[in-house]
Amino acid sequence: MPEIKVTPLGAGQDVGRSCILVSIAGKNVMLDCGMHMGYNDDRRFPDFSYITQNGRLTDFLDCVIISHFHLDHCGALPYFSEMVGYDGPIYMTHPTKAICPILLEDYRKITVDKKGETNFFTSQMIKDCMKKVVAVHLHQTVQVDEELEIKAYYAGHVLGAAMFQIKVGCESVVYTGDYNMTPDRHLGAAWIDKCRPDLLITESTYATTIRDSKRCRERDFLKKVHETVERGGKVLIPVFALGRAQELCILLETFWERMNLKAPIYFSTGLTEKANHYYKLFITWTNQKIRKTFVQRNMFEFKHIKAFDRAFADNPGPMVVFATPGMLHAGQSLQIFRKWAGNEKNMVIMPGYCVQGTVGHKILSGQRKLEMEGRQILEVKMQVEYMSFSAHADAKGIMQLIRQAEPSNVLLVHGEAKKMEFLKQKIEQEFHVSCFMPANGETTTILTNPCIPVDISLGLLKRETAIGPVPDAKKPKLMHGSLLMKDNSFRLVSPEQALKELGLAEHQLRFTCRVHIQDPRKEHETVLRVYNHLKGILKDYSVQHLPDGSITVESILIQATAHSEDQGTKVLLVSWTYQDEELGSYLTSLLKKGLPQST
Amino acid sequence: VCVAGYGQSDGNEILQLIPPPTLLTKEAQGLCPERDFKVECGGFSERPVYSLKYVPDTSLLVTSGPPDSSLQVWQVSAEDSDVIKSVSTIATENGTEQSWAKIATISARAPWVLHGSRLDRVQITEVESRKNVYTAASRGSEELSTLAFLDCNTLLLCCATGRLCLADIRQPQSLVEATAVPSAPCTEQWCMGTRHGAQGSEPSSQPVARLSSRGLLTLTDLRKTSELLALAKARVPSPGSGAEFLCVSWAPALEGYLAISGFDGTVHVYDTQSWDSSGREAEPIFIHKGHAFGGAGGSGDPPLVTVHTWHLQKPRTLLSAASDGSLHVWDWVQPCGKC
Repeated sequence: MPEIKVTPLGAGQDVGRSCILVSIAGKNVMLDCGMHMGYNDDRRFPDFSYITQNGRLTDFLDCVIISHFHLDHCGALPYFSEMVGYDGPIYMTHPTKAICPILLEDYRKITVDKKGETNFFTSQMIKDCMKKVVAVHLHQTVQVDEELEIKAYYAGHVLGAAMFQIKVGCESVVYTGDYNMTPDRHLGAAWIDKCRPDLLITESTYATTIRDSKRCRERDFLKKVHETVERGGKVLIPVFALGRAQELCILLETFWERMNLKAPIYFSTGLTEKANHYYKLFITWTNQKIRKTFVQRNMFEFKHIKAFDRAFADNPGPMVVFATPGMLHAGQSLQIFRKWAGNEKNMVIMPGYCVQGTVGHKILSGQRKLEMEGRQILEVKMQVEYMSFSAHADAKGIMQLIRQAEPSNVLLVHGEAKKMEFLKQKIEQEFHVSCFMPANGETTTILTNPCIPVDISLGLLKRETAIGPVPDAKKPKLMHGSLLMKDNSFRLVSPEQALKELGLAEHQLRFTCRVHIQDPRKEHETVLRVYNHLKGILKDYSVQHLPDGSITVESILIQATAHSEDQGTKVLLVSWTYQDEELGSYLTSLLKKGLPQST
Repeated sequence: VCVAGYGQSDGNEILQLIPPPTLLTKEAQGLCPERDFKVECGGFSERPVYSLKYVPDTSLLVTSGPPDSSLQVWQVSAEDSDVIKSVSTIATENGTEQSWAKIATISARAPWVLHGSRLDRVQITEVESRKNVYTAASRGSEELSTLAFLDCNTLLLCCATGRLCLADIRQPQSLVEATAVPSAPCTEQWCMGTRHGAQGSEPSSQPVARLSSRGLLTLTDLRKTSELLALAKARVPSPGSGAEFLCVSWAPALEGYLAISGFDGTVHVYDTQSWDSSGREAEPIFIHKGHAFGGAGGSGDPPLVTVHTWHLQKPRTLLSAASDGSLHVWDWVQPCGKC
């Protein structure tokens, strides 16, 4: 049986380090190469020793696919390609290729410069790694080699995020990466066609979450910002240049317009241009509304949001500032934070996860006295809020995607097995497909049923369509023929033609069985008894009594003779061809039971 | 929080949800970005779930629903799985009508469930052994709408007609009747809400509220059942929908506050301390309209609130569910006296 093997890599049951190995029809593909942000040692990288204990990985993998630029999906890529060693192609979408290196470099700076780590990739490694990247467009079929092809589908979630279909012959796997089934203000919703893959691999991290309504979440955020600004305070929102920041900007802009608010909103210098540049470049990746209005007015050029200047931080009065970097670990956001932290009227809203060691992480854990450079203590009196705006699919979203793609099997990664049992049952019940949940390092084998195209001879086709009910395109039809495999082609022909082509003679097999029956009467009377008996029982069959004294049931022949030694016993000869084996055996056992008395 | 479906077809789900951390604790404890509920465990029920109650001090759930009045017992949390498993069925003798049992649970002497679809079919069954512990004396065959344990020995039954009956399980043959309700068209249906007072207080010291499908609210003191404590009328739409989802409940942390739902997509909160027995229309303290606005809008019938309950610790917080599958957790702000 052909099979697809899937192994999620990495040690432990942790979320956040996506890296999945798929083996399909002899091809090996690595899906994502993420880093775990919570660890400081080798545990943050996936365990590549599973592929091979030592040496470079180029020969073992046909390609690597990266779904989007979040570090838990691409963070280990430079380590993998430059430090462990891989020179083959790395596929990702154009926006991902553009944005990935920025994030990687940013992260490298924190890890090496701020935290002083040594076993980490360098800037040059990031550059060398990106040289191996082949960018793909949505819905474009890319031939990796003669047999392996991949295709990207829109996933929502962040700019450039994609779900990938990997196909070899007629076996295929779809990997979702992170996706979002509900559109938001600047990105659309994930979409896939009814591609019916053999396997759908989806992350189940958020599968047990039932999302709060977006409206309530946004209202909560707006309320906090509004309240702070109303009392004259300043709101700092540390963000990464691309991602949720655009979403929040559009949200605030709309709110400011509706409420006619006057307090200024600023977006860090450099950030606006960079973000605008990428969104303009990849406008097809945003949602329809933005694309439509983009012609008249750039959605990302806001009326109420202006470029920030360092000096503005000292201005009196309320304001809202979006500043990078997102974890308050360096740069402008940290500078602003230091200026505003001492005033309890101010607020900082952290919109995402912060790595340990950063100021963001510290204040979220409740620390209110921070040690800064030069042994200075900073007292944090400003309000600290934490709001997650990440866009992930929950259980409902997973069910929706399965409904769209119609896979034959589903595989859930990154969930604890005990906590996934209910979802597994739900998927199995609703879609009647098998659902797997391997642990990291565990290999799941999925059996596939590939379709093999076969040419059928015209003669056989004509003959088979003449027999039985009219062929229905939706129903499988059972046929009788011979399969000839020659070179690399398969042909279905009638047995006679096959024999002819191969120059073989057809053999006929005929079985004969003797059944003894106690009957003192004459032979022809016995025959009559047998005939009546069989006619009575085998109502659906053609039972005939021939003039020469024999009985036929369909094509089976029954003749009666007297036993040579015992006149009271008659011997029935039952004879049939191989094709009528079933009926022949049945008749024989029926006759062996004897004839009823009354005939 | 446990939610369950009541659709006609197979495969209704029962989900045990963990509310986001901000709702679990009394005071804000640390920071959390999550506003989402988590499915802690889930199960599948073949029949629609019309009533669901936890059995206190156990990890068991009891549900009931058509087509008959038997009860299903479920095991909620197992160490190694997140599936809510069906454990057993408590069978009851069935009438010919399509009825379903109303239930109430308590774990005083043992985990018990009080159940019955009609006044003459009320019994208490021990949940784990499924043994019958008590059968109420028959006093008529009216349909029941709500059952409650006032304490481990006292039961209160409310019929759909509004008739209240008290029973002491130590005296099997006794079934004391409490006041009837003001005369009303016979199609009017009633349900009740009871409240547990502070620890150690007499169970019957808390007034019992009854709500009718026309919006009438009565308060009764069980120690003096000959007269009504209070009578008021809620401003609700005329009974278009049936009385299936009528629900009235007392606030556990606010003296004299109760909430009603089941008429439309709203939940009303009232302060009963100013009520008298005149039957005047009462002004709600707050009306939660979220369900009516929350949905996709436009298509289909407006959602109907199917049930509501109060948060046990947070004083002005309620949870409500509606026929469109939405679950709301909400509170209201008391307008301050000055400014």
